[in-house]
Amino acid sequence: MASVIEMKEERKDLKEEFETTDMALFVRTSEESMNDWNRQRIVDALIRETYIDVDTAKEIAREVEDLIVTSKIKMITAPLVRELVDTKLVERGLEQARKMHTRLGMPLYDVDQLILHPNKENANVPHGPEATNLTLAERIKKEYALLSVFSQETADAHMRGDIHLHDLGFVDRPYCSGQSLEYIKRFGLSLPNSIAMAKPAKHPEVLLAHMVKFAAGLQSNFAGAIGWDAVNLFFAPYLTGMSDRDLEQLAQMMIFEFSQQAVARGGQAIFTDLNLYWEIPKHFENVPAIGPGGEKTGKNYSDYMKESQRFAWALFNVFMEGDGSGRPFFFPKPLVHITEKFFQTPGHMDFLHHICEVASEKGNTYFIFDRGETAKISECCRLSFKLDQTDLEDAKEPWKMRYCALQNVTLNLPRIAYLAKGDDTRLFSKLTEFIEIAVKAHLEKKVFIEKLLSIGERGPLALLAMNRDGSPYLRMHRASFLIGMVGLNELVQVHTGQEMHQSRQAFKFGLKVIAHMKLLVDKLCERYGMHFVLEQTPAESTAYRFAKLDLKFHSPRSGHIVKGDLSKGEVYYTNSTYLNNSAVLNPIERVRQEGLFHPLIEAGALTHIWLGEAKPSRESLANFVIKTFRQTQNDQIAFSPEFTTCNACNRTSRGLRSSCSYCGSAEVDGITRITGYFTKLSSWNKGKIGELHNRYRNQAYIEAKEGGTVLKAG
Amino acid sequence: MIEIKGFLETSFLDWPGKISSVFFLPGCNFRCPYCHNHPLVFEPGQFASISLKEVLRRLDALKDWIDGVCLTGGEPTLHADLPLLIRQIKERGFPVKLDTNGSNPEMLEKLIDKREVDFIAMDVKAPLDPFSYRRSAGCSIDLALISKSIEMLKQGKVEYQFRMTVVPPLHSEKEIRTLGQQLKAGRRMTLQNFNPENPLDPSLRNTLPYDPKLLKEMEKRVQEMV
Repeated sequence: MASVIEMKEERKDLKEEFETTDMALFVRTSEESMNDWNRQRIVDALIRETYIDVDTAKEIAREVEDLIVTSKIKMITAPLVRELVDTKLVERGLEQARKMHTRLGMPLYDVDQLILHPNKENANVPHGPEATNLTLAERIKKEYALLSVFSQETADAHMRGDIHLHDLGFVDRPYCSGQSLEYIKRFGLSLPNSIAMAKPAKHPEVLLAHMVKFAAGLQSNFAGAIGWDAVNLFFAPYLTGMSDRDLEQLAQMMIFEFSQQAVARGGQAIFTDLNLYWEIPKHFENVPAIGPGGEKTGKNYSDYMKESQRFAWALFNVFMEGDGSGRPFFFPKPLVHITEKFFQTPGHMDFLHHICEVASEKGNTYFIFDRGETAKISECCRLSFKLDQTDLEDAKEPWKMRYCALQNVTLNLPRIAYLAKGDDTRLFSKLTEFIEIAVKAHLEKKVFIEKLLSIGERGPLALLAMNRDGSPYLRMHRASFLIGMVGLNELVQVHTGQEMHQSRQAFKFGLKVIAHMKLLVDKLCERYGMHFVLEQTPAESTAYRFAKLDLKFHSPRSGHIVKGDLSKGEVYYTNSTYLNNSAVLNPIERVRQEGLFHPLIEAGALTHIWLGEAKPSRESLANFVIKTFRQTQNDQIAFSPEFTTCNACNRTSRGLRSSCSYCGSAEVDGITRITGYFTKLSSWNKGKIGELHNRYRNQAYIEAKEGGTVLKAG
Repeated sequence: MIEIKGFLETSFLDWPGKISSVFFLPGCNFRCPYCHNHPLVFEPGQFASISLKEVLRRLDALKDWIDGVCLTGGEPTLHADLPLLIRQIKERGFPVKLDTNGSNPEMLEKLIDKREVDFIAMDVKAPLDPFSYRRSAGCSIDLALISKSIEMLKQGKVEYQFRMTVVPPLHSEKEIRTLGQQLKAGRRMTLQNFNPENPLDPSLRNTLPYDPKLLKEMEKRVQEMV
């Protein structure tokens, strides 16, 4: 910095002797004004932005001027001038200066396309002016991130597709956040930058309003999900004496508020997770309850079981109904925790049937399995961890329980296998190399976020720096750093010749790879004193991106490996540690086998059971859920039905169809889970469409004699 | 020995409350125009058989999960050696559910008396008059056999259920109610919508099934008849 100022001083003395060619030329600048041509501006910019000397700067300015004069241009834009200057820097081999002088932005054609066509990278982004703003901003921040936040080595690894740095367009925010309602119950809604301060809520409706606004505030400070712990329990002290009707009304308000929050950033719904419990979680049993006005009610949370349960029940009544046209709600996502204590709590079977009915009818329910006696909490992306002693202390003051993941970096596992060329040692050393790059990326992001946070409540991350209880909202020492993976199945396929579902050996090799990753990540935690964890990346677009890049760099090998339809470009790698989506594998095997990976993956492990059209009985699903809890290590399951919603008659029917089964109209949209949430098929990227065609929906196995398998809806 | 043409290892649908495995057996004596299983039923030769040994091996692997086995078709009771198959499944400790159209009361009686099946789901096609039944089943049916099976189930020696697949052009609300009155089976009678995906009679492909809400209401009314 000092050297730049110095040079500026120096430049002042030189100004007089500077003469400018008088050109009848206007420059359109980025400040929306037209300026007369002034060569000095080039010199100024070079001195301000780079470390080159004045003489060189002047020389470059003169050369660029000559170029423009001889070209006889009448109107020139600032970006063009900048590019011309950059070519001069390149000619001189001033690579560092050129990088510093880079302009971020987008070609006219791209902007035109963007404004006219929907974004398919994230199906949760609708198409509209607000969404376009988001995408444009994201593009520039992405470039900024790759040029300025991350080192060249990290950025190159991302560009090559060795790793994927998630949410680069949101580089100035952490990834996801998990908290409880206690914070706003105790401190009210008093946000930095907000013009009004609200005291703690006295009524349930107001608490809900605070929750929704706070969630919107958080969503503009985090890239990903916003999760809420034990929502029904923490609402309970506000619900005493409420009639069933009023309670149902409140539940309806909550779900509609969160599902229609398309006023949030980029017109996106807030990615909301509601964690729900039928029992009173052990670590909250003896915690003094906070009630209306932020006051302690004099009772403990264990005294609010009835209200807590009634509210959970009411929420699922609303999920069961679906929205105004009978569609499942896309958000919020209800996550029900199944624990030992769940089964000891009266009424659990009725509740289990209730949530299973919703799972069968609408698919919303996520079943989270917290086994054993250790207390666990789950965050946004199901980053659960066992509560240690300090957490259990925090649990006594639940507003302190705020957790976040700072970033998510995903490894391209099949790439590692192509590079290893069948050699075990090479495979594992490459894997180590990739993880080290991911860790480097995390360190770089951490430095950047810490820089933003250090400006405190006057800085860009004011909300996260806000300090109401002795520590900033974002507790950096509890932050996690996610390391995800895509395409374990294809790694195994390239390396061993078989996919994981095809043989025990192949499956075991897959386990070995993930176990190695886990071991390594644990070592790195110790080395850096940071909390790195493995995650099952949802990989909505990453699975597609990696497959496309490998088709480019590792052809022809990759052509036999990527899944989907090559001719249509609908290609993908199998998500995370999943088994092949099309494998004829019954739900039991899938839950059992995929579950073997879950203890190694602390964040976001989930098995999908694609139901297709079938609408199972709630008792059968409950039966399956209980067996999954008792007999497997699986962390989380969700059943995903498919729907067709009609834009003509506004009704929704079961199954994916080309026309409405009520009115016959072809104006229909399919709905099912893309990764961790429901959305309309029309917004899916090509890779996920490829996967959808391949999903095995538990059909009967019937083999035609002349080859080929016919599958019948089960 | 009976050939198994299709195998679904895990079903959440076929046996309410249970996780079951389903065996698909070939051949049928009915020709229901709305049958969507017909390739398997009428041209079983084009499909490979799955050996019983293999199927039983898979069942053993899923022992802690599977609560029972459903036998469906086609019409399983056409196979004289069905009881043998059932016995082999039961030997492994799995309860058995049988799907039938009720045209073989003799076999049903034996199975019930020897307590070899645990659940029988009988498909009822139409009100119990020769014309209606013939129209829905696609061929002449000896109604006496059907009635005999119904009576036998209603004695309650075994868990049972009557299922009616409803197709709007074949089954008006009135006809559904008539059958309901004849069966008076209460909650043991269920209605299911037909699937226009690939019916035996291609002309039904363009038929819209009943509105699911209406179907639920009709089912409720039928279930009130006891």
